[in-house]
Amino acid sequence: MSNWERLVWNQREILIKGLLVTIEVCLIAFAFAIVGGLILCLVRMYVRPLRPLAIALIEFFRATPIFVQLMWVAYVWPELFGWPNTFFTAGWLALGLQSSGYLAETFRAGIEAVPAGHREAGYSVGMSPFQVFRRIVLPETLLTVAPSIVNQFTVIVKSSTLISVITVPDLMLQALKLVHVWFEPIEILTATAAAYILFVFLVSAAGKALADFHRRRFGLAAA
Amino acid sequence: MSDALLEAINPAMFWEYRLVLMRGLAFNAYVFFSSASVALAVGLMAALLRVNRAWPFRWIGTLHVELFRNAPDYIMIVWVHFVLPLLLGKLLGQRIEWPPFVSAVVALGFVYSGYFAETFRAGIQSIPLGHLDAGRACGMSERQILWRIVLPQVVRRMLPEATNQFVSLFKATTIVSLIAVPDLMYQVSMVIQTEMRPLPLYTSAALTYFAVIYVVAGTLRLLSERWRNKIYA
Amino acid sequence: MVEVPAIRVVELRKSFGTLDVLRGVSFDVHRGNVVSMIGASGSGKSTLLRCINRLETPSAGEVYIDGEPMGARVGANGQSSARPLVEINRMRRDLGMVFQQFNLWPHMTVLGNVIEAPIRVRGMSRKDARALGEECLAQVHLSEKSSEYPARLSGGQQQRVAIARALAMRPKAMLFDEPTSSLDPELTDEVLSVMRELAGRGMTMIVVTHEMGFARDASDRVMFLHNGQIEEEGPPEQIFGAPRSERCRQFLSKYRQ
Repeated sequence: MSNWERLVWNQREILIKGLLVTIEVCLIAFAFAIVGGLILCLVRMYVRPLRPLAIALIEFFRATPIFVQLMWVAYVWPELFGWPNTFFTAGWLALGLQSSGYLAETFRAGIEAVPAGHREAGYSVGMSPFQVFRRIVLPETLLTVAPSIVNQFTVIVKSSTLISVITVPDLMLQALKLVHVWFEPIEILTATAAAYILFVFLVSAAGKALADFHRRRFGLAAA
Repeated sequence: MSDALLEAINPAMFWEYRLVLMRGLAFNAYVFFSSASVALAVGLMAALLRVNRAWPFRWIGTLHVELFRNAPDYIMIVWVHFVLPLLLGKLLGQRIEWPPFVSAVVALGFVYSGYFAETFRAGIQSIPLGHLDAGRACGMSERQILWRIVLPQVVRRMLPEATNQFVSLFKATTIVSLIAVPDLMYQVSMVIQTEMRPLPLYTSAALTYFAVIYVVAGTLRLLSERWRNKIYA
Repeated sequence: MVEVPAIRVVELRKSFGTLDVLRGVSFDVHRGNVVSMIGASGSGKSTLLRCINRLETPSAGEVYIDGEPMGARVGANGQSSARPLVEINRMRRDLGMVFQQFNLWPHMTVLGNVIEAPIRVRGMSRKDARALGEECLAQVHLSEKSSEYPARLSGGQQQRVAIARALAMRPKAMLFDEPTSSLDPELTDEVLSVMRELAGRGMTMIVVTHEMGFARDASDRVMFLHNGQIEEEGPPEQIFGAPRSERCRQFLSKYRQ
């Protein structure tokens, strides 16, 4: 038991510092992905001239492996666009870009799942197309896709382990550093893996609870 | 900026190293097929445990699914590569080692078995019980019912979902480079170390992966849709 | 002085591609009247209703609400031009619509559904809208459900909420598109009785329905549609007592038990 104490418990400050970085990166990436995904989706569905561009971006973000995208954003973008200028930024940006592609498709499915009658009911009481979108289609879509959005957060957390490769000091990097210092990987890596699994489990349990709640309360099936 | 852009899309360097890079891509495929086999086999077993009547089996199946579905694949690869041999070594009292390829296949195979188990289970549970009764009424054996009635429907039902998971698994094979499995990303980083030019190489790698995944995934989806549409018109 | 009809439909035509769904329909609905539309499915009843409030754009013909043309406006110089969507929206408020599928918005409470348009479209204050909403819910006997979400309600209750939602816009007339067709038989009566009460209070209504009982004793006039045209129309006693058209007789015979 002493190994656990020496290698994990006594290092808890370092590990928690890493965990906080992980959470920070994931939250920024998540927010970016929701906004970016919504924009991509709306452009794809409603802005005819930019549609091909939106589709190309969505497909590229979705079909490229996150690790490849991460390296690309971290090492190629600075030369290409002069930005991002830190690996931290590159980390959340790459995670956010990929998820924005997935969320764009999630939003689209949600919008398409709103029955035409709900829109017509809005028109029949004299609402304008913008009001119908803003007050009926969008909120209904957000409700139906909320569980999928939460689910996307678990994908971000899982992928975030890779930002350690570009030296962002997240939980994974701190754990690997400790392994390098002590040359005793068993306890540190097991504890770290357990922490990640627990974290992701809790988030996806929250997503499931949300989906159940929505089904009971609003009669909505998750999209 | 425009110079940089030109360099980024200039495939000359990628072309120069095409042989070693394509060998890397082939290695991605090799890892993919190996871990997909593991994932399908283990996933089917876990799914059968989850639909079992006895609760201890169901419980083990659920544990398996929750454990592997929620695990980041990178940490699982690292764990299998650095921790598992030590644990087994302690258990057997001897030094155990295996090549990174084995770690990659075992880790990815088990992580994705969690996803496949859920897909199998949903497929199995979607078969109406009446179909089994109909088979029994015709005098078919339980084994015949499983192979002739249940599984063909399960496979068709789970195809779209499974296609997505195969795509995810293929994308995940890119991280095996991190434990020095010589896939495309590994070869790219090796070339970058000698040439010091990440710009064209990473861009070409990204485009290559994108093209391969986009084309293969699209074809798979098209084929599976056509096949499914024959019975779910 | 000649009374201007609440709704006047003139030579309305609608085709989807090569399919002619409405082939020249004309009729008037006077204030306070209830008109029932009957006919086999595919005869164009629902399309007619949807053309009246322009959820579908008619291929030809015009609809007048209180003498105002819905599709065109006549300028000072006497020239008529297509009415912009903003104005169509404004005119739609005067026509309450009740759908077969209720189409309640699932993310809002019952009261939220009712007061949404008064607030957003009429620009009412939330307080006034609430009072109005409670009043409309009382009219459909659902005051106690105002803070529930639609998913918790039975089909009949949902349809009554949809009626309250339409009432909250203080419409000049109401259009009902098969309001009881997706309800279980035991739930249709509560909806029909709310509609009867509305008719009793003098609401102008066009009702597309398969409920022959309602058509017979709640409406002033009945129209039988066949193949996109009005095959026969008249007071209910005539249509149900002595229909002149053979097709109408055949259609009605299917409903007699």
